[in-house]
Amino acid sequence: MPGIWIITEHKEGRFKKITYELLSQARKFKEKIGEEVCALLLGSNIESLANQLGPYGADKVYLLEDEILKNYTNESYTQVIAGLAKFNSPSILLGGATAQGKDLLPRVATRLGTGLATDCINIDLDEKNFLNITRPIYAGKLLIEATIPQSRPQMAMLRPNVVEILPQDGSKKAEIIKSKPDLKKEDLKSFLKEILKGESKEIDVTEAKIIVSGGRAMKDKENFKILEDLANAFGEGTAVGASRAAVDSGFALHDIQVGQTGKVVNPTLYIACGISGAIQHLAGMSTSKYIVAINKDPDAPIFQKADYGIVGDLFEVVPLLTREVKKLRAEG
Amino acid sequence: MNIVVCLKQVPDTETKIILNPDSTGILTEGIKWVMNPYDEYAVEEGLKIKEKFGGKVTIVSMGPDRSIEAIRTALAMGADEGVLLNDPALEGSDSYATALVLSKAVSQMEYDIILTGKQAVDLDCSQVYAGLAEFLNLPYVSVVVGLELFPDQKKAIAKRETEGGEKELIEVSLPAIFACQKDLNIPRYTSLPGIMKAKKKEIKKLGLADLCLNPEHVGKAGSKLKTGKYFLPPQRKAGIKIEGEIPEATAKLVKLLREEAKII
Amino acid sequence: MEQVTREIFWNVGGVRLIVYLLALIPVFLFIYGLWEKIKLWRIGKKENRYDQVWKRIKSTLYNGILQVRNLEKAFPGTFHVLIFWGFIILFIGTVIIFLQEDITLPIFNFNFLQGNFYLWYSLILDLFGVLAIIGVLLALYRRFFLRPESLENKSEDFLSLYWFLLVLLTGFSNEGLRIAATNPDFERWSFAGWQIASGIKSLGMDLNSILTLHRINWWIHLLLAFGFIGYISYSKLLHIISSPLNIFFRSFEPIGLIKPIPDLENQETFGISKLEEFTWKDLLDTDACTKCGRCQDNCPAWTSSKPLSPKKVILDLKAHLLEKGKLLLQKKELSPEKNLIGEVILEDELWACTTCGACMRFCPVTIEHIPKIVEMRRNLVLMQSKFPPELNLFFKNLENNYNPWTIGFATRADWAKDLKVKLFSQDKDIEYLYFVGCSGSYDERVKKVSKALVNIFNQANLNFGILGQEEFCCGDSARRIGNEYLAQILIQQNIETFKKYNIKKVIVSCPHGYNTFKNEYPLFGYEIEVIHHSELISDLIKKGKLNLNKKLDQIVTYHDSCYLGRYNQIYDPPRRILKSLSLNLKEMELSKYKGFCCGAGGGRMWMEEKLGKRINQMRIEQAQDTGAKIVATACPFCLTMLEDGIKEKEIKNIQALDLSELVELSLQK
Repeated sequence: MPGIWIITEHKEGRFKKITYELLSQARKFKEKIGEEVCALLLGSNIESLANQLGPYGADKVYLLEDEILKNYTNESYTQVIAGLAKFNSPSILLGGATAQGKDLLPRVATRLGTGLATDCINIDLDEKNFLNITRPIYAGKLLIEATIPQSRPQMAMLRPNVVEILPQDGSKKAEIIKSKPDLKKEDLKSFLKEILKGESKEIDVTEAKIIVSGGRAMKDKENFKILEDLANAFGEGTAVGASRAAVDSGFALHDIQVGQTGKVVNPTLYIACGISGAIQHLAGMSTSKYIVAINKDPDAPIFQKADYGIVGDLFEVVPLLTREVKKLRAEG
Repeated sequence: MNIVVCLKQVPDTETKIILNPDSTGILTEGIKWVMNPYDEYAVEEGLKIKEKFGGKVTIVSMGPDRSIEAIRTALAMGADEGVLLNDPALEGSDSYATALVLSKAVSQMEYDIILTGKQAVDLDCSQVYAGLAEFLNLPYVSVVVGLELFPDQKKAIAKRETEGGEKELIEVSLPAIFACQKDLNIPRYTSLPGIMKAKKKEIKKLGLADLCLNPEHVGKAGSKLKTGKYFLPPQRKAGIKIEGEIPEATAKLVKLLREEAKII
Repeated sequence: MEQVTREIFWNVGGVRLIVYLLALIPVFLFIYGLWEKIKLWRIGKKENRYDQVWKRIKSTLYNGILQVRNLEKAFPGTFHVLIFWGFIILFIGTVIIFLQEDITLPIFNFNFLQGNFYLWYSLILDLFGVLAIIGVLLALYRRFFLRPESLENKSEDFLSLYWFLLVLLTGFSNEGLRIAATNPDFERWSFAGWQIASGIKSLGMDLNSILTLHRINWWIHLLLAFGFIGYISYSKLLHIISSPLNIFFRSFEPIGLIKPIPDLENQETFGISKLEEFTWKDLLDTDACTKCGRCQDNCPAWTSSKPLSPKKVILDLKAHLLEKGKLLLQKKELSPEKNLIGEVILEDELWACTTCGACMRFCPVTIEHIPKIVEMRRNLVLMQSKFPPELNLFFKNLENNYNPWTIGFATRADWAKDLKVKLFSQDKDIEYLYFVGCSGSYDERVKKVSKALVNIFNQANLNFGILGQEEFCCGDSARRIGNEYLAQILIQQNIETFKKYNIKKVIVSCPHGYNTFKNEYPLFGYEIEVIHHSELISDLIKKGKLNLNKKLDQIVTYHDSCYLGRYNQIYDPPRRILKSLSLNLKEMELSKYKGFCCGAGGGRMWMEEKLGKRINQMRIEQAQDTGAKIVATACPFCLTMLEDGIKEKEIKNIQALDLSELVELSLQK
């Protein structure tokens, strides 16, 4: 039977943002092809979450609860989802291009013998009402379009932060279909032993989505605090980095050094404060999606690579920036 | 232990990627081909496992003739044998077909553990290892940043990187597939004697018939995902220096970050 | 008239036979010890140092006899010359006696040691004897009062000096006693002996006492002298033989030249990891060392507190040769096995070297430090894959993109996009290749130098072009780090390109490129005329092809690049340029052949500097000391390092500029 299915993701009793983005995307498809939107909710003791999905656009919620599903593993989730999909034959099955999604959907797709597009930055419906996806390749240097003309369901992973979440409609309620999956612990070959939280709140520069980096102009170890403040103002997934000059001068430790002899990073936003942009540093961050440069010297090479630059004293600019960012984020 | 490492030859990440005239692919002249960087971690891990537990490391790669060089690099690092899955019909295979082809080759071998990179940096699909696991009916762990093996107990504990600095410890029974991530290890630099020896090691070539496959299973025909047009992303605008006094400029910057860059 | 001569063996009786028999002992010891040493040197591999014999003889006269290089350090050089000539003259004096006594007199009945000849003989011997004593005393003064850091004071060091002093002193007391006893007037010519004799006579001793004293003194002197000869082969005195020998067998290659690995494809091992893999000349080097410490004193690594001392490397090899060599000769193994790299010489020592060549330039006995270090690096890199981890990415970048940074090779000519520059792939008729180099192509700061040069070339209507994407790294850093395989790939590719376009002349703005193309590419099979941009610009100025409108009235100091200066003796063209720009040139103390390295050579540009002081900061301090507002450079590495030094120290009143940039400033209206 037709259907636009999405795989929800939740953690510690709350849905992750991608779930709402997927539902919004599914709603857009529904407007065009009229099939119902179904959300797959797997886990243990998560019934209360099921009701939240209706207002965001889910017509149905397949609620699959089991102690075994308490912690995600690709094995157990694949079994449940693939089984359900095989039985119901939806037209479309979407997930997020997240850690879980990338781990799960490829196996599901192979089991269902269907096509899957990773990390889509745009999903449309073409004239035949089939999925037409756009995704980046060669680290984003090129984009390609792709379709899944024959096999079903058509599967795709949506990149987070690309689809705008449509406003809720509190009046909408989803039909909740509960079932207990047919899983036996003995049959499973993998299980989660332990979750290791990050050691400190700070994540590694190589993992950060936003990096605020300081150079020699920081003048002192203590002054790196203003960079931390700015990083924190952006929220989670941020880190503080340093240029080699700063590390050599003892202002920062080597493990946050960005550059050819330090770490190579690829964040969405790289803010270089008082960094001149020597070639060895650029080699470590030039693939950043957006680069902001703050430097007193208008001729600093970093301005050649920056998308946005401010010529000024970082000690003036950075605290102001922190304030502005906090203000804007609070507005939501 | 019999260790199988699947790798792919890809363009170097710094190579200029140019669209071909009819937007159906890229120009291949002037491209520097290298072993997929993530696969280097897989090869290194395989070599470390061999050094610890003994055994041999076999490299498997699906690709055109030039892919032999990537296999040779792995041999120069210390791998023992190489197998190239090479046939004109294989060209254009998507992740599903590629996983199928690899599974046919690997199922002909003895293996205790299979290692791959978590994604190939050309098409960035990050799907093949899962497909391979499915076809071979094996468990797998992706984005592995730590790996501990207990061969006598036929199990392994892998450290998987998730999001926000968190990691998971996954226990899995062997044989299994591990898709390697950066920082799992530091790939060794090939020694010159290693490079010389590798030139003499034999690399087997397998075609469709050897893999018991028919043309409709592989290549474009066997792909579930059909690729369409290739095109350039919207050009990165030239950078701008934001004018104005500092408070003004800062406010403008934040606005741009929200509206243009969509970061805040 | 009394015979103007002296009786040999006077007063000591018919001891001739005993003396000659006794003499056999030190002679035997000397030869035996020397032979043992030669056997140890021969453990090393073959090397052809037997060519250009006449040149070798001249060189030995120059540095071995005239000791020109030794005298570069005036004080120790001078007193060594005194000791050296004292020893030689006195030795010749003794040989003359032997000649007379045992050859000319008995065989030809010819007595020449008499008359005027004898007078001059006595004078000269006394003179040089006194000079030798002065020399030894000055040496002792330096060693024990001045106590320079470069001298350790082991027992063999003062034993050698004291012993020689005693031989000299007892020689004089001998003469004094004899003259006091025989009292011939002509012996005034032996002025020192004469004074001593006067002193003895004033003591009022009777003749018998003098005679007895003389006999005793004579034997003491004889035994001391014989002992001294015997001691030579077993102490640092061996340098009497080994140093001139080392100078004779010296390398005439340019400083720091490293030979390619022959037949790379078919070798089993690469580089040196064992004592016996050195050549015999390498091993001779270790015994030629007199521990003078000049290599260490002038080594930028040592003076910036890195663990590397070139002196220590040579002496550690010497100790290792003694230890392991003896066993090898007996076909035994060293047990427990001692690793050459890691135990005898530490890896940190090897990596600290900037290959600046100061050690080799200052060594009075032409020891070759750099090739040994690089050979050991080769082993670390090619065989063991053991090297500072930051080099992993460096190698990968060279392999994949033919430049040391992770930047696509396709963008190599982007810097010249908007400039009037010809490309060899598009133009047929180009006279000069301008080999831009990696820094000049990719580094933002150094691109300014490339652009300035292009400006200058165009002003002078020079017919030049660049290779653009076809230009690969020259291979210098890879070679110095020891990755000969990678370097060969780059070099062979460049040679193919040079052949393709039939390139005969190349202009470089980088001394490392200069050195590699000039001195090393021929070894890989391609000869090419290489011109450094300072030479070219100096020439253009001389020919009046550049309108140097603006007079730059500033105090400037010039930093000699090691690979331009010490390696290739190009000191003047840069200075001529600065003078013609009306700059007030103030030289640093460590300039020209004494130039202090910026710290980037030897591949160190690509490694972290974790230990000791920052070499580049030390150099910029030296520049500041001249009062200069500008430090001029002729090398992208030096420019980068000095600018970094300026930034690190937050100095406001000095800036680093390349020669081409200064010239460009002057070309402006």
